[in-house]
Amino acid sequence: MTEALCEVRHVAQQFPQPRGPALRVLEDVSLAIHPGEVVALLGPSGCGKSTLLRILAGLATPTAGDVRYHDQPLRGINPGVGFVFQSFALFPWMTVLENLEAALRPLGAPAAELRARALRVISMVGLTGFEEAYPRELSGGMKQRVGIARALSLDPEMLFMDEPFGQVDALTAEGLRAQVLDIWSEAETNPSSIVMVSHDIQEVVNMADRIVVFGTKPGHIRTIVENTLPRPRDDRSSGFARLVDKIHDIITGSEMPDTPARPGPSFEPLPSASASDIVNLVEYLAARGGRDDVFQIASDTDREFGELIAVVNAAELLELVDTPHRMVVLAPLGRRFAEADEPERKALWRRQLLRLGLFRRVAEAIARQPSRRVDADLVLETIIMALPQERYEQTFETFVNWARYGDLFAYDETARTIAAQ
Amino acid sequence: MSQPATTVRRPPVWGRAAGFVERAPWIDAFIMLVIAGLVFGIAGLAREWTGVLRPTVEIDLSPAALPAYTFYSLARGLVAFLLSLGFTLGYGYWAAKDRRASRVLIPLLDVLQSIPVLGFMPGLVLALVALFPRSNIGLELASIALIFTGQVWNMTFSFYHSVRSVPADLAEAATMFRFSRWERLRRVELPFATIGLIWNSMMSMAGGWFFLMISEAFVLGDKDFRLPGLGSYMTVAVARGDVGAMIWAIAAMAAMIIVLDQMLWRPIVVWAQKFRVDESGQAAEMRSWFLDLLVRSHLVAWARARRRPHARRRPAPPRRPRPSSHARAARVSTLVFAGLIAVLGLGAWKLVRLLEPTTISDWLDLIGAGTATLARVLIATVIGTLWTVPVGLAIGLSPRLSRIVQPVVQVVASFPAPMLFPALIALMHVSGIPLGWGSIMLMLVGTQWYILFNVIAGATAIPADLREVSSVFRMRRWERVRALYLPAVFPYLVTGWITAAGGAWNASIVAEHVSFRGATWSTYGLGAAVSSAAADARFARLAASLVVMAVIVVVFNRVVWRRLHELAEHRYTLMR
Repeated sequence: MTEALCEVRHVAQQFPQPRGPALRVLEDVSLAIHPGEVVALLGPSGCGKSTLLRILAGLATPTAGDVRYHDQPLRGINPGVGFVFQSFALFPWMTVLENLEAALRPLGAPAAELRARALRVISMVGLTGFEEAYPRELSGGMKQRVGIARALSLDPEMLFMDEPFGQVDALTAEGLRAQVLDIWSEAETNPSSIVMVSHDIQEVVNMADRIVVFGTKPGHIRTIVENTLPRPRDDRSSGFARLVDKIHDIITGSEMPDTPARPGPSFEPLPSASASDIVNLVEYLAARGGRDDVFQIASDTDREFGELIAVVNAAELLELVDTPHRMVVLAPLGRRFAEADEPERKALWRRQLLRLGLFRRVAEAIARQPSRRVDADLVLETIIMALPQERYEQTFETFVNWARYGDLFAYDETARTIAAQ
Repeated sequence: MSQPATTVRRPPVWGRAAGFVERAPWIDAFIMLVIAGLVFGIAGLAREWTGVLRPTVEIDLSPAALPAYTFYSLARGLVAFLLSLGFTLGYGYWAAKDRRASRVLIPLLDVLQSIPVLGFMPGLVLALVALFPRSNIGLELASIALIFTGQVWNMTFSFYHSVRSVPADLAEAATMFRFSRWERLRRVELPFATIGLIWNSMMSMAGGWFFLMISEAFVLGDKDFRLPGLGSYMTVAVARGDVGAMIWAIAAMAAMIIVLDQMLWRPIVVWAQKFRVDESGQAAEMRSWFLDLLVRSHLVAWARARRRPHARRRPAPPRRPRPSSHARAARVSTLVFAGLIAVLGLGAWKLVRLLEPTTISDWLDLIGAGTATLARVLIATVIGTLWTVPVGLAIGLSPRLSRIVQPVVQVVASFPAPMLFPALIALMHVSGIPLGWGSIMLMLVGTQWYILFNVIAGATAIPADLREVSSVFRMRRWERVRALYLPAVFPYLVTGWITAAGGAWNASIVAEHVSFRGATWSTYGLGAAVSSAAADARFARLAASLVVMAVIVVVFNRVVWRRLHELAEHRYTLMR
């Protein structure tokens, strides 16, 4: 195999939290980027894929492990990388041309050459005529063209893109993807390789040669899928569909286990999904014969699959659905829930909540207090002690949301107390 | 998009339409006249500043002398402003970049902000006059430094907060493209801070004028210092009871403020619109007739055509990654920090020595006086709120009215209230109101505008959909006020209160201790204690009263204003 452009070896990343143990974002990740390939990092949000991209780019320093560029340890910013940001990150006080020149200026070339290079990339991405526009005058798609042009202006070996099409509409994204691939496929010129972060499976299968699928808690590489489909790729070909299917299976296999956590004596992590999303999922299934493919639901409801899987897992934890393989099936309790009226739904919901360790523990603590209320901090401490791997703020938010929907506890935000209803 | 661009015009600085505007020759004539006037004025200024030391200049009360005096004062204000800007960029940048230093720098700024101009006066005047014993420049510098102390602090706070809150993605992009420290400051941090800095600069200029009378004419024990300027003119006019001269001085001050607003601030504010970060529509298009005129000038076009390629021609040297630069910056920062701590330590020690003769009963007396002044400040704030909320709502809810009134209020707010005090004091004298209550009125004259200004701003910012809701549900007037207007305006009201209370504390030193027609009136209060101690050059008592004032102001800020501010941010913000 050819020499890697850059690579990470056994990289781990942790972020300190104000309380409790440090949050593990990445653990033991090794990955090499080779010349001439498109690599996609795929996974639900919070799996550390963006963090890995930033480590490879030199924007973040890992807590453990090596980062290498052309087999040398990487110090500071990776010199071979052009970076495209999800939020575009254009300087609003500079015109398109000035934005590009600002990125080029640190190279130290004479002004005329800077101008010439900037104009060249401007025509490369189809921004000719917009040189003097300010970013606020451009649509999202045009802004991201500037972002791509800015990254390409440095003539980088590798183009890094962090969810580059996340903030533009589907049609625009299609056009941008094709354009990026066109630029990349000019074999003799940079960028030689592309590394992109995405949560869109279709997009990843369309663009990447290798698809790195991430697992969560803590983030790790679950598997790497080789994509040998010939380019240009046809989204409707059977090979394309098979690969999409394969990735669906990999993701559901890890993120939606067939034998899920069931309510028991111990504490279960709460998937971060709001009560209203869970209820809406039940309604959605009830209206569609009680079963559907999870990725079908995601694409029908225009949700990121990671988010939807969290909703499904939450519904499953509350015994409202079952998840054989990739299907989401309404459980008997879910069916009753769908047919019930509001008061009955709340009663059902309350009963299910009290089968979960965290809710039961808090209910017991409240019952012991003569005032029938406890400090929110007590609940937070409980979460930190029992579920050190979770983001406790997020878990707490979910806890409050579910409890409020079921009319189980009330949360007073100003006094920071939880009280029985 | 399909047409290839053959040539690229240079990006215009003044706005995109600049290239197409017709040029007008009479504007050029006007600009040349202004430049000639400036050259003449600066020559006169240089003569005045480098002249032989004359501690007490004879002030000519004839109106014909006023233009020159106004020019001198304006020059002092602008020089002080440039100093403030320099200080702001240095201090604010350092505090924002060095976490350890900021732990001392920011609280220090809080304390400095709470000390009124008289607290700095003795030290600055004595030191600078001693430094230049034969030349006027020492006295001029002292006066400029006093104006500076009225301007600088909120600018520094604003810049510090801006640099700290540069959006993460822009900061990351700058890192990714290997911007040097200097480039990061110039292309990211300064542009991001510009709008906040400009609004605060406008307020700062007003803050500098507030004590113009004290900054140009001050008494230190048996020494009487007076510099030629508008403030001295007013002081002398008041001392002689010359009503005509007072009116002339007020008119000159008003003229100066309006000219500055129209010819300096408004064009800058309009120009700064390009530094907006939020993209939510074209929020109320801003115009400036003066800027439009400049754009139509041949001279300006010519100057810009010459300047810009020149600035661009210099190629930067190729940059190597310099791992040492960060370490060097950290070393410099540590060194300066150590110096600062040493100076602060020395200052604290000197202060303790100075305070030694102060007895317990002195302290108790000062604390009592501080409580009295605090009560006045709060009463002034309450009265200011009671009338400005309904009026501000009425103005702000009517787009037509607010378009006319808002700029006027802005100008009125920057007029230094102490210049109006003589008239009010005469009124109090006639109607027999004691100064204890009258000083509240004097504070109010200076500070109520900040509340009004903010209420108007808050009312204009109420979203149309919420106002429609209140109409659709046929809410009664009182119900609308309670459910919509008050909560929506609350965050702005808090900002107004904080500014107004700060101004009222500042005003207390001239409101509780007044001189009128040669006589001096004083009432029980901390402002009076500061003023009388400074006038009698009793430095121990001055220091003690300033310590009490700084403590009360800082503690009140932390305990009351900050909590209200957090409540406003948390509960009543319409931004989310």
